[in-house]
Amino acid sequence: MSENYEYILKTEHVSKRFGTLEVLKDINLSVKKGEVICIIGPSGAGKSTFLRSLNQLEKITSGKIFIRDELFLHREHDHTVDKLPHEKQQELLLEMGMVFQRFNLFPHMTVLQNVCEAPVVVKKQKKSEAEAQARELLEKVGLSDKADEYPSRLSGGQQQRVAIARALAMNPEIMLFDEPTSALDPELVGDVLNVMKELAESGMTMLVVTHEMGFAKEVADRVLFMADGIIAEEGTPDQIFTNPQVDRTKSFLNAILET
Amino acid sequence: MKKRMMAILCAAGMLVSMTACGAAKPADVAGAATDAAATDAAVATDTSAATDTADAAGATIDLGDAKFLTEGVLNVGAEVGYPPFEDFAEDGTTPIGYDIDIITAVADKLGLDVNIINTAWDGIFAGIGVNYDVACSAVTITPERKETMLFSDPYINNYQAVVLPADSDKTISSFNDLDGMTIALQKETTSDILMSDYKSTGTIDIQIVANEKITSCFTQLQNGEVDAVVVDSTVADGFINSSDAFKIAYEDQEEAEQFGIAMAKENTGLQKAINQALKELEEEGFIEESYNYWFGSAAE
Amino acid sequence: MKFLKKYKKPIIVIAVIVAVIIVLGALLPTKQELLSCASPEMQKMIEEDATRSRKRVTETYESLIVINYLSLSTSGAQEVSEHYVGFVRNVYPADEGPMKVVGQMVNYTYRMLGCGENWMHGAKLTVLLTTLTVLFGLLLGTVLALGKISKNKVLSKISSGYIFFFRGTPLLIQLFVVYFTVPGIFGFAWRDIFPASDAEAVYKGAFTAALIAFALNSGAYCAEIVRSAIQSIDKGQFEAAKALGMTYGQTMGRIVIPQSIRRMIPNVSNEFIMILKDASLVFAISLMDITTISKNIMTSEGSYLVFIPALVIYLVITAFFGFIFNKLEKRFSIYE
Repeated sequence: MSENYEYILKTEHVSKRFGTLEVLKDINLSVKKGEVICIIGPSGAGKSTFLRSLNQLEKITSGKIFIRDELFLHREHDHTVDKLPHEKQQELLLEMGMVFQRFNLFPHMTVLQNVCEAPVVVKKQKKSEAEAQARELLEKVGLSDKADEYPSRLSGGQQQRVAIARALAMNPEIMLFDEPTSALDPELVGDVLNVMKELAESGMTMLVVTHEMGFAKEVADRVLFMADGIIAEEGTPDQIFTNPQVDRTKSFLNAILET
Repeated sequence: MKKRMMAILCAAGMLVSMTACGAAKPADVAGAATDAAATDAAVATDTSAATDTADAAGATIDLGDAKFLTEGVLNVGAEVGYPPFEDFAEDGTTPIGYDIDIITAVADKLGLDVNIINTAWDGIFAGIGVNYDVACSAVTITPERKETMLFSDPYINNYQAVVLPADSDKTISSFNDLDGMTIALQKETTSDILMSDYKSTGTIDIQIVANEKITSCFTQLQNGEVDAVVVDSTVADGFINSSDAFKIAYEDQEEAEQFGIAMAKENTGLQKAINQALKELEEEGFIEESYNYWFGSAAE
Repeated sequence: MKFLKKYKKPIIVIAVIVAVIIVLGALLPTKQELLSCASPEMQKMIEEDATRSRKRVTETYESLIVINYLSLSTSGAQEVSEHYVGFVRNVYPADEGPMKVVGQMVNYTYRMLGCGENWMHGAKLTVLLTTLTVLFGLLLGTVLALGKISKNKVLSKISSGYIFFFRGTPLLIQLFVVYFTVPGIFGFAWRDIFPASDAEAVYKGAFTAALIAFALNSGAYCAEIVRSAIQSIDKGQFEAAKALGMTYGQTMGRIVIPQSIRRMIPNVSNEFIMILKDASLVFAISLMDITTISKNIMTSEGSYLVFIPALVIYLVITAFFGFIFNKLEKRFSIYE
């Protein structure tokens, strides 16, 4: 694959409406390889929708999405104007791994099967290879002893770490995290954040929608503050957390830090 | 024909004693009765042409001590749906057929109105004297039945017949020639009992396909599912009359059956009156005329 | 070994029952022994039959492993019949009294089970037709359910139309159409599917028609079962599969349908029992299931006792399949 690209991911004028409700308004974002971006903001700001429209779980109303500088999708007024051929799209989508708020593990499969499933079925990897890789990943997230358990026997934190391993098994270049710790009991949050931190340190490109300000401060290269469907403010963690410019950011941070 | 044997009588007897059935029946009968009443006029006009040939002094037969459920009306139980003996006309409500013509003419002779009550074959005898005065529904006269009810003199003869597709080149000269064939017949009829006996005694090796309705047998024969149909000659005559797809290949002349009108054991007065009426109809040629009308020239 | 330990009790019970059956079976009088008890008059008639072209004696021998029954009867003017029951080295006359009832029970049970007949009779027909119907119905139902929830409008309309049609018309009429109308229009006979030399082709043909009609009908009902099971699966499962790059087919086949199976089982079990009862509709195309045989016995012999073994047979069948569905449900809920 060509490494000669400027931005691994770029959006131009991305908008999304559900009926008359405008959830995303003209979002422009450029992500370089290896960047860790945290997206914060009040609920209903469109953070999750934005993340989900990047890997096509939501269809954008208009705007352009580029992956590795290639025009991945261009839509106007709910109609696709231009896009890559389907196979190429599928190939590029595999470069994005996704971790959900509610884990969404496959309950009828063991932990190991959960992690192996996509590599074997989608990438047609050999089963033995996929298993070896899966065990490595489970080791990495600290769950090698749970390989043969069903997800229902695991705690939320453990399930989320399996979900991370499952996403990583496809060797993505970008990891999308949609509020990965919001559904967890507070004492279980740390393990998951640690795994994400390690991932960030290994150079993974990450987009993280989160309410964990500590994590954002510590790990993010850039923090986006979203409100009412727009990126209200963006900057380094320092700029956003210590010296926010926009009133909405200020009041949001005040509210968060008070609790 | 529909000689569902003595056992049915036992069954029917039991049914009467079972309150559930007793409770369910009257509703049905009432429904059928109103239907029949509504169409009564139509039936009467239908047959009036035929009875015109008889002398106008129809109601001359002495009813003696005959007993009726309703004054001036002959209530008749029949399983309507067995052409050409009894069936509904195209309108789906008027009963027509050979039996209907005969019983209407008989009632005419007795000076009574006729009321046809459609009833299921199962339990038809249990209704005699309860829901209707007589059963006139292609009932075979058997010694067993004579023990529990009275019969009029026979008004038709019937044989067991083998029906083949019209283009068949098989020849049947006795039931033994059916060996190796697949035959269709109506469940629990004389045909069924006879053929089952041929099979179970090992006389011939046949596959028996038993149906609830005789019409299913003929559809199966037409579609080629079965090789032959064994059925009452009277019914066979009727079918062959209305379709050239079939032919009668064999009639068993030896074991003839006779149909009579059945009534309650103690109603001897009615038996006498009906026999007198049948005798007069015979003399007037009405019975033969009706037979030719319903069964065509294929019959004797 | 683990298996043996887990099911120790039932295995012992079954072993004892089997042992008792083997012993009782070994002590069962043979058919010849039963025949030798027949009256001299009957023996004479049987002898005469050998040379007759129209035989008169019907000999019915039925064995239910531990008990057997012989009936000799003649047709015609002088109707005579003799019945015998054999049990543990003894032959009992069964023309009257309690032994008559025992003999009848053996006879009715034997006939309703379809013993001594091919697969198209009695309990064997009921079980075979029901099982195959559910299997094919589920396959067809899955296809229809996927069609109905598909985004393809044409596919969805076709599936909905199919379901509407088959649920909105009576099974009996569908059976008539498949067996009588379709061959009538297209000029073939169901029995022609089987070799002409097959004497039982007519029953097999009718069974084929019944199975087609039943499966087409059950497909519509199963489609609703499958659809509601699929739609009860969390949307997150679809999203997770999609995010991992799985196609729609892979998502359905590997993620959604396996999870929905467990949710279907109680409804499929209900459908199974419905079909078990509906199987009696085959009377309309000349086949004999348990209900039809019991009704026939009722009308031809006037015996109301026949319905007792009929109920027992049905209960045994439902209990057996209920057990199987229960096991399946447990098996599929292992991960919960």
